[in-house]
Amino acid sequence: MSKPKGILSPKLVKDRGSLHPINYMKDSIMDLLVSFGFEIIDGPEIESEEFNFDMLNIRKSHPARQMHDTFYVERKSNLLRTHTSPVQIRGMLEKKPPLAFISGGKVFRKDDDATHLPMFHQVEGIYVDENVSFSQLKDLIYKIIYSLFGEDVELRFRPSYFPFTEPSAEVDILSKEGKWLEILGCGLVNPVVLENCNIDYKIYSGLAFGLGIERIAMLKHGVTDIREFYKSNLDFLSQFK
Amino acid sequence: MKIAYNHLVQYMPGNPTIEEISDSLFQLGHEHEIEDNIFDMEFTPNRGDCLSINGLLRDLAVFYSIDLNQEIYNERLNELNIDFKNQSEKICPKISFLKLEIDKVPELYKKSLEDYFSDLNLSKNNFFTDVSNYLSYETGQPTHCYDADTINEKLIFHEIEKQEEFETLLDKKITLKGKNAVFSLNNKVINLAGIIGCKNTACSTHTKTALVECAYFKPEVIIGKSVKYDIKSEASHKFERGVDKDSQEKVLRRFIQVVSEHANIKEMSIVSYNYKENQDIKIAVNVNKINQIIGININENDYLNYLTKLGFAIEENFIKVPSFRSDIKTQNDLAEEVARVIGYNNISRAEINIPKSDNRNYKDIENKLRYFLLDHGFYEVINSPFVGITAKEAIKVDNPLDSNRAFLRKNLTDSLVENLLFNERRQKDSVKLFEISDIYSSKNGIHKNRMLSIVASGRVGLNYQDFSKKIDTKYLTEMFQEILPNEFFDFQILSRDSLDTKIKSEIITLEVNIERFSADILSYREASKSPESFAQFNPISDLPISTKDLSYSIKDFSKIRELENLFLSYQSDIVKNIFIFDYFYNEKSQEVKIGFRIVFQSKETTLTAAQIELAYNDLIDQSLKIDGISIPGI
Repeated sequence: MSKPKGILSPKLVKDRGSLHPINYMKDSIMDLLVSFGFEIIDGPEIESEEFNFDMLNIRKSHPARQMHDTFYVERKSNLLRTHTSPVQIRGMLEKKPPLAFISGGKVFRKDDDATHLPMFHQVEGIYVDENVSFSQLKDLIYKIIYSLFGEDVELRFRPSYFPFTEPSAEVDILSKEGKWLEILGCGLVNPVVLENCNIDYKIYSGLAFGLGIERIAMLKHGVTDIREFYKSNLDFLSQFK
Repeated sequence: MKIAYNHLVQYMPGNPTIEEISDSLFQLGHEHEIEDNIFDMEFTPNRGDCLSINGLLRDLAVFYSIDLNQEIYNERLNELNIDFKNQSEKICPKISFLKLEIDKVPELYKKSLEDYFSDLNLSKNNFFTDVSNYLSYETGQPTHCYDADTINEKLIFHEIEKQEEFETLLDKKITLKGKNAVFSLNNKVINLAGIIGCKNTACSTHTKTALVECAYFKPEVIIGKSVKYDIKSEASHKFERGVDKDSQEKVLRRFIQVVSEHANIKEMSIVSYNYKENQDIKIAVNVNKINQIIGININENDYLNYLTKLGFAIEENFIKVPSFRSDIKTQNDLAEEVARVIGYNNISRAEINIPKSDNRNYKDIENKLRYFLLDHGFYEVINSPFVGITAKEAIKVDNPLDSNRAFLRKNLTDSLVENLLFNERRQKDSVKLFEISDIYSSKNGIHKNRMLSIVASGRVGLNYQDFSKKIDTKYLTEMFQEILPNEFFDFQILSRDSLDTKIKSEIITLEVNIERFSADILSYREASKSPESFAQFNPISDLPISTKDLSYSIKDFSKIRELENLFLSYQSDIVKNIFIFDYFYNEKSQEVKIGFRIVFQSKETTLTAAQIELAYNDLIDQSLKIDGISIPGI
């Protein structure tokens, strides 16, 4: 159509697509952590038992290693990583402290119900240097949570247990409905793990933390059913522009 | 684990309220819910020592005075002469047996035993089993009671690896497979160690002579067995987490005490086998290290005082770890004890400054590609890697959730085609999807490739420029030439013949390794931006969609924007979307034609023709109030 001067054409509304909300959330958190000084590293989703468990002080007897919790592949020669922590092990073996790594991506556990999926996403971080303390870990966690949920949010630390951190904590935020919601796990890196990575634990200490992306995305976007994220429904995806 | 408030507070002279104890438990890291004065505890797996009244009181002792006035039988006992052989001492380094004969089975229980069953709403079994269960609750150490008259052969503890039928004392028949630690009698399994005993040797309501077994089993021998055989067992829960290595004889002496409070004991004898003496764990006293780990400044007296209250002993310059705390081995473990006592929330923040990294984001090319696709209307999806159909060199999952998820996918495109069909079934006539993910294959080892897949079909876009154009290889080739003019991508047309669909439009696919994209893409300036805020999700309707079109003839061109604004800002519960699908200037007649498509969908009900007409006519009525426009045919 040749258009004479003076005719105002309707606006040409080009439909833009959208990033997947889980990837967008993962990227947002990783961008935030990069701004704090962390470096992004990556690793494989198919891992060895050594990197996924042994190096992280998860003993042979730990329930997580059982066939009912972990997906094994190729006649048990490898497994689908159950967390992104093995990436940090690879990072620590390659680089000497001080070091600050984050890794994000898919992880797999043998769950499948209304609130758990066999595949989900994590972002985990580790910082190793001299004299890293639990009180510094708290400062970092406050900064992360405040950035994600605003400085008005109330949070609490609870003692917990992870074989790769000691002391270990879980962090909750108080919802608008007055309910405490678990947001992340964290702790000081267990000296055994540092030793496994040839880092002298008498000189260095470290902090580590991990966040479940789906949980945070559900809270931020008000999604109540985790399965919505993976239906690839355009009516769902188009809401996250 | 359920623990009654009354059962705890009877040993706490200060009579703290249930709320006070609850706060203390949270501070110590013991999550729980409270219902009807019962704590429903959820302990972390390293704190098996807390799975009892006494265990919880040991932790609470750091905040409260505790008077554990449980009587114990301390008189000398005859040695039990039992024909027993431990063939697997490494996995059962400690075991004790007590043989008890009572004159009469009691009909009524004393208050503490009766309260255990009534407060926790538990069913009774028989006298000896009831005492055993109660003591497991009180001390954390499971015991197993055999009817002594049935143990008339050599009793053997061993780890076996053979298939054998076994009927539990709860009448459940299981087939033992793989390695199992068991007690055998006459070459037949009578007890799946640490899990459950068999029916034939169990005590009954008539049993007057019991053989009580009390052991320490290595947790790794017990772990997974209750899941494997689908047996819910309080004993296995405790053994999996580790019981006190030094408590076996003491618990049996407490057993005697409780029995003696209910019946006249005619005979009793005991024997204990210690195949390996426990090595005490001792950690150097170093309050500076503790302060450095936590980032606090407590003095040594306070530090040692906390530990003493938790049951640790101070010997010269060392801290001796109590036998029930198998989780404590290092200074970091002790630091956690101190942090729990202080309260994690009472530890101040200390500013952290991490040196900035100079490393660039290694996924720059990938991210640029994602925004390029967004600019052209593509939506990013994430699919499960599990598929049911194998392909050459596909990686097999040893323990899949089901046969439909027994392999890892070898390509992304198949998943995206499923996504496309899913959306087409929901009446989407323009579908553009992409996924970037690792895929794996096995050929002389495991290989990883990071791939981009795109799948598209239908209209190029829902606007007047693209509405009548169909997605084809030409469209996509030209699109990619915009950013990589010198690179060729092999777009494929996927036949719909084998797909469950009646739609005819071409499906175009591309699957390509991310490494194929050169750094030239980095110069692309994307139009799409990251969302400025986190959009609040609106529930999706799966109800049918209806569409209606409205075409206008406009002679007064100044009214175009007014009409456009009316439609594009129109709000209705049943109007899902409105867009301009046609715009044409007729030079001969000096008029503009504009076509609007209105998409109707309700979130509550399937729309009737009348409901749609109502909204449709409302739009017509409002639009015709604008001078200089008309609807041909109306």
